[in-house]
Amino acid sequence: MRSIRQRPGRFLATLLSAFLGAVIIMTFNSMHDTAGQPGVDPTSSETLSTAAGVVGGYGTLLVFFAIASTLTVNVRQRAAEMELLRCSGATPAQIKRMVVGEAVAVALVGAALAVGPAMLGGRALLDVFRDSGQVARSVDHSFGPVALQSGAGITLLAAAGAAILAVRRATGGSRRRGRARTVLAYAALVAGAVSVTSTFVFSATDAALMAPPAYGAILLSVGCALMAPRLLAGVLDRLPLGGASGWLAVRNLRERAGQLAGILMSLILFTAVATATLTMQAVESDAVAASGAVKSVDAKNLETLNFTVVGIIVVFVCVMLVNSLYAATTYREREFGQQRLAGATPGQVLGVVGAEGLVLTVTGVCFGTLAALAGIVPFTVVRTDAVLPDQAFGVWLAVVAVAAAVTLGTALATARRVLRTPAVRAVASAA
Amino acid sequence: MLRTGSRQDQDPGPAAEALRLVKVTKTYGSADSAVTALDAVTLGLGRGTFTAVMGPSGSGKSTLLQCAAGLDRPDSGIVRVDGTELTGGDEAELTKFRRGRIGFVFQQYNLLETLTVAQNTVLPLKLAGRRVDRRRVREVLASVGLGDRLGHRPDQLSGGQRQRVAIARALVTEPRVIFADEPTGALDTRSARDVLRLLREAVRKHGRTVVMVTHDPVAASYADSVLFLADGRLAGRMDDPTADAVAERLAHLGDDVPAGV
Repeated sequence: MRSIRQRPGRFLATLLSAFLGAVIIMTFNSMHDTAGQPGVDPTSSETLSTAAGVVGGYGTLLVFFAIASTLTVNVRQRAAEMELLRCSGATPAQIKRMVVGEAVAVALVGAALAVGPAMLGGRALLDVFRDSGQVARSVDHSFGPVALQSGAGITLLAAAGAAILAVRRATGGSRRRGRARTVLAYAALVAGAVSVTSTFVFSATDAALMAPPAYGAILLSVGCALMAPRLLAGVLDRLPLGGASGWLAVRNLRERAGQLAGILMSLILFTAVATATLTMQAVESDAVAASGAVKSVDAKNLETLNFTVVGIIVVFVCVMLVNSLYAATTYREREFGQQRLAGATPGQVLGVVGAEGLVLTVTGVCFGTLAALAGIVPFTVVRTDAVLPDQAFGVWLAVVAVAAAVTLGTALATARRVLRTPAVRAVASAA
Repeated sequence: MLRTGSRQDQDPGPAAEALRLVKVTKTYGSADSAVTALDAVTLGLGRGTFTAVMGPSGSGKSTLLQCAAGLDRPDSGIVRVDGTELTGGDEAELTKFRRGRIGFVFQQYNLLETLTVAQNTVLPLKLAGRRVDRRRVREVLASVGLGDRLGHRPDQLSGGQRQRVAIARALVTEPRVIFADEPTGALDTRSARDVLRLLREAVRKHGRTVVMVTHDPVAASYADSVLFLADGRLAGRMDDPTADAVAERLAHLGDDVPAGV
């Protein structure tokens, strides 16, 4: 606990993801509370419950990922401190208890802070549903036990689980995890392929048409994300990057492929989920408009949900990306100092960072796009008889622009700041 | 006719004096807490010499090395490396100045962990955009006794081996001056002896100029001469030093500041 008080800054990223996660989970789970009130008509109740169920599930997964990512970075940064603790007689179990305790404490603070914003958010969400006619005007917002319990409970559980994972990652035992990861990756890829293929079973006007390709795309991207280190290695082998900066970048990336996998994972998931969901929604909306029909309440629900889900994912992935990139780049102060002492100008160091960011972005976007296309193409084929929708390109451009801006922006801005330390001191400080 | 723009025109060959400092002063901190690390130090080192700089902790040894090597900028005074004055400028300009003129060997080796021995050695050439002569790189690595370790990474090497890679990296650009900051500070005595012999060889065989900051009288005894530094000022010089004489002088450095120089 004392370590949190001493360095609150280090836990900011974890706190932020716990807070955001708790806000989202509580906001949507308060729909359960609202739906459970006496006197709510069945249609409204169903809308609210669906929203809560779908987004709640997503949210849990994301909170887990985000907290795990920030904690892993945190634990890795403190490797020296952990080593010191171990040398002064702390058993692995004690270290684990410490990290888990810290994570739970931070998550508790995050959840407590989230209650206020979640109440406001829940009210705003209900307003959206009411304005679009999905929920009856008479329904009032209620923030009750379901929201509170699930919000706090999920956040705490996710934090504790993520902390255990982070410690295990930091203290070795990677072999077995490697195999588990491969199995999981293949399972996700196979399930994704099945899900995408099953799109063809549905007819163009089925309400549930969007579900199989969307989930398929997500599963495929999860599979790709889990294989990220291997994908990166494969790309690097076929990469002709010129100049001293490019030369260094490729070598750095190859050595640190495992560590950078987290960043690549976020990029793949982000690209795939955002592109697939937004494109399919655009295709669906246009198709409905073209047929002259009015959207049903269900369709509207789906649209709202899609946008919310994408919004949540974008926010979380951005937090994860910025956090892990910032930490990874700050951590390299000494390495940058060594490069400068070996004769690299600051511009060349930034060139290395930029080249690395570019390779990561391009790789992540490529595989994310593949996963997204795997979902989009079957959907459009069934829905509109076209193969590739016109809407895809614009959506894709926007998604890629955000991904590139976040990745390169964070990496370069952090590197610039790190470079302000004179090279000699940068080398000495971490020695 | 001289062709303009060629390397020969800009580089008139090695100057007689490899390093010249004139009234170099450096102060850290400000106002009340200011510490004068270097107090108007003037010195000149001839080409092809091996000089050790010694002094107690806080005497300004490292500051002297950093100012002379263009890693830090003095508050006032002139630094001339190989006849060319080191003028102010941003880090990129200083870096370009150092390339080809200055090589470094540090106590902490400062090899890049992600690169192999061979890659670490050619890094300065790559960064300077110079052609990499593979045969020459192999020769240099063989001369420091690492001809069979080209593909190893720094973490697979002992401290002494790492330091020898660092020396190879400093030699490969054929710099005029090599600055060594406590190069044996983290090594056992045998590895230290190897490293010091290599530095002396760089001077004797290849005509480099070596400036070495050290605490260790034994290390200093490998040099042609020793400069003593106390409180930011030169406090004496000893030619053809022996370890005992250096240790003796060091022990009484506080007593004879006014004398000596």
